[in-house]
Amino acid sequence: MDFIPHDDDTIADMLKDLGINDILDLFKDIPKKLLNTEFDLPEAMSEPNLLKKISDISKKNKLYSSSFLGAGCYYHYIPSTVDFVISRSEFYTSYTPYQAEASQGYLQAMYEYQTIISRLTQMDISNASMYDGSTALAEAAIMSTIITNKSTILLIEGIHPEYIDVVKTYCWGQGINVKIIKEEDLYNEINEDISSVLIQSPNFFGDIIDMSLFSRKVRNLNPKCLIVQVMTDPSCLGILNPPGATDVDIFVAEGQSFGISPNFGGPGLGIFTAKEKFLRKMPGRLVGKTKELFGEQEGFLLTLQAREQHIRREKASSNICTNQALCALSALVYLLSVGKTGLKEIATQNVQKSDYLKKALVKIKGFKILNQRPTYNEFMIEVPNLKNLLIECKKNDLLPPLDISHYFPNMVNTALVCVTESNSRESLEKFINIAKIVSEVTTG
Amino acid sequence: MIQNLIFTKEVNKSNTNFIPKLDIENIDLKEIIPEKLLRKDLVIPNVPEVEIVRHFVQLSNNNYGVDTGMYPLGSCTMKYNPKINEVVARLPHFSNIHPLQDENQGALEIIVELSTLLCEITGMDGFTLQPAAGAHGELTGLLLMKKYFEKYDPMKNKIIIPDSAHGTNPASAKMAGFSIIELQSNESGEVPLDQLEFAMKQGDVAGIMLTNPNTLGLFDRNILEITNIIHTYGGLCYYDGANLNPILGISRPRDMGFDIIHLNLHKTFSTPHGGGGPGSGPVGVIEKLIPFLPEPCLFTKKEGIICKEKNSDSIGRIKAFWGNFGVILRAYAYILALGERGLRNIGKVSVLNANYMRIKLREKYFLPYDRICQHEFVLSDKGIPNGVTTEDLAKRILDYGFYAPTIYFPLIVNGALMIEPTETESKSNLDKFIQIMFKIHDEAQNYPELLKSAPKNTPIGRLDAVTAARKPILKE
Repeated sequence: MDFIPHDDDTIADMLKDLGINDILDLFKDIPKKLLNTEFDLPEAMSEPNLLKKISDISKKNKLYSSSFLGAGCYYHYIPSTVDFVISRSEFYTSYTPYQAEASQGYLQAMYEYQTIISRLTQMDISNASMYDGSTALAEAAIMSTIITNKSTILLIEGIHPEYIDVVKTYCWGQGINVKIIKEEDLYNEINEDISSVLIQSPNFFGDIIDMSLFSRKVRNLNPKCLIVQVMTDPSCLGILNPPGATDVDIFVAEGQSFGISPNFGGPGLGIFTAKEKFLRKMPGRLVGKTKELFGEQEGFLLTLQAREQHIRREKASSNICTNQALCALSALVYLLSVGKTGLKEIATQNVQKSDYLKKALVKIKGFKILNQRPTYNEFMIEVPNLKNLLIECKKNDLLPPLDISHYFPNMVNTALVCVTESNSRESLEKFINIAKIVSEVTTG
Repeated sequence: MIQNLIFTKEVNKSNTNFIPKLDIENIDLKEIIPEKLLRKDLVIPNVPEVEIVRHFVQLSNNNYGVDTGMYPLGSCTMKYNPKINEVVARLPHFSNIHPLQDENQGALEIIVELSTLLCEITGMDGFTLQPAAGAHGELTGLLLMKKYFEKYDPMKNKIIIPDSAHGTNPASAKMAGFSIIELQSNESGEVPLDQLEFAMKQGDVAGIMLTNPNTLGLFDRNILEITNIIHTYGGLCYYDGANLNPILGISRPRDMGFDIIHLNLHKTFSTPHGGGGPGSGPVGVIEKLIPFLPEPCLFTKKEGIICKEKNSDSIGRIKAFWGNFGVILRAYAYILALGERGLRNIGKVSVLNANYMRIKLREKYFLPYDRICQHEFVLSDKGIPNGVTTEDLAKRILDYGFYAPTIYFPLIVNGALMIEPTETESKSNLDKFIQIMFKIHDEAQNYPELLKSAPKNTPIGRLDAVTAARKPILKE
């Protein structure tokens, strides 16, 4: 294939205008020994051949009829409106809206995104999004050290292990100390040198933390320490107490659940929100509403760019120079499409269906729920023979739950199970039957 | 006209079109989760489906993309985004697979294959496709540098960055814990070798971050001397691949002496910019830096592609899961579609187009660095009469149905107007743009008010940015 419109005559005409004969004369600034390197690249392909080749590769991945796997990436139904909107190429082929007057459509959508995210989370302000949940958490950690001028952060166990790794990498870059502690050790670990405490709720193991209680505890121990909450499936905000109602300072989340396909884990959407007083320390793009300079009409533009790298360079609050605009647009269209009633219903079904499975599994010999607290759509279960369970799931066309030893090698025969509104009753019954068979074979 | 906000279209009627019917017993939520954990109210609107669709179609009409017309935004490489890539990215066996599922060999194959292709194109020995954007790639590359020198020469904690660099370079270097030595470009827009050597002699400099061709669109003729000086003093050379497009198929960063490179798949490899993301910023390195690449690391074995989660020298993880796979897939399709010959033509034609515009536009506009350029060139506002500013020019360009070039960057040119046409614009489009620029120049002379009050033909007139920043309104 070829996407260059010129024919040979046009190229010849243009070269003539330039007063040169050979297009390679345009590269005379490049030292000769660096030119004309040999490339070992394949021949060009036409569209039908290309599509066939890539479809064939795709078939080496397996698609399942139903999934019990979550752990940071979730199967929620995606309304048809979402792909329709993000396929409008006026949106997806545009750049960061530097020329506001020619980019009002996107800017307005981002303003609406910021509005809907701040309503959903009840946080004062939302930026126009970050790369994903993990990097948003890392940026939140760094932001907290800029605000407090302290360089140690505490991570409460139960944050997604990959998120912890990302936070560690970012913090190592800046010389920030990272300490991972148990929630009950907060009392011993929190002192005046602590910048912030990071906690995930619902956490990686599925537990819903009582964030009001947690925030009160932190405030009592050190009123200057910032509270950062992270979430990997914010669909729970359809029913659960939002971070803005529980005194959280910075709230971040992975927004993939809002209308973004799993896509093997990326792209996702980094939701980033904070209390208003931290606005000028916040990383990422912000869209603001203003008026015409010579008129009265309201419009939208990128604002507070004085925080950003293209003006502040090394003094910027972050190096981030884009948002994840198209994914933010997906989330906006998703939230509008399901609406208030729908989001509440979806979240409720997630709880009801995972509860249904939990109740059925505990009745099976050898199965034990490990969560001590209420859960949203994920829970931890001890299984008599996990390997068998995983194999049987696959045989029955179910994407099996996460073998938690993938992240925690010491935790054997334990699975993190995820159930969403997209699991039909039939798929739940199928899973329960598999569990029964595994139990009978193993425990007799 | 600006549309009313979607929140004004709320109705008191719920839309259940997208919610599966509950097929188990409807147990009251409060029996499962204690009431104190539940939210009291939720204020997102219920809007009828038809109104949502119309709203966004109307918003899209108020937005300019590459598919609308030429987008000559310098250093952004706004080329055509082939439609087959969108089809490929939506194949269900890619779009619906989970990052933690076992049966993923197709996805891993794409990642490994694209890494191999990028190695061939740039000359590097290994790639990570984890970074989610160009700036994220910069951070990753600099963390690699940091880790390398922590091991071999911990004194080296500074980075040299020329003043022509993208703003992300110094910001990324700071995020990786380096302090920055800014080097002033010389009168020909290139790196001054004597100052470079002086800085390196101090012994505490880890290396240089360089964009080549630089943001003036100029290829640094001393590139081999530059990388040689850095290497002589034990430093590493970082290549900012934002401007790789013009040298695609012409020259390779590795051969120039670079040790670390990031690419922008959303620039050079045609994945859509999406209005500012998602992008992808793969990082390539030479052999000795491969052990420092982020986790997880992939390699090929007889039994298939293997993923190694931990590696003692690695900088660690820089993003959850596998990078922006959906973007990676599009870039892979693009490279396969073009093949060797197609890729070689990109560099040539993008440079041809830029130079064609350069020699035409310099007839009316001041071109501070007047020599053969690569993919882009930078005009200045010098000589524009009647107090007309670069911003005025840009806004007037919008009136004629084109997007404006990058303005006020690079900082080393006053009132800069940075133009990058890319290889996918036809000669007639270039000619149209040139004619409009001429016309605007005449207008600046004769009817300056037309420019100062522009734009008029956009959905909204020029916006008040000062008040917006002073009293930010960030939500309804």
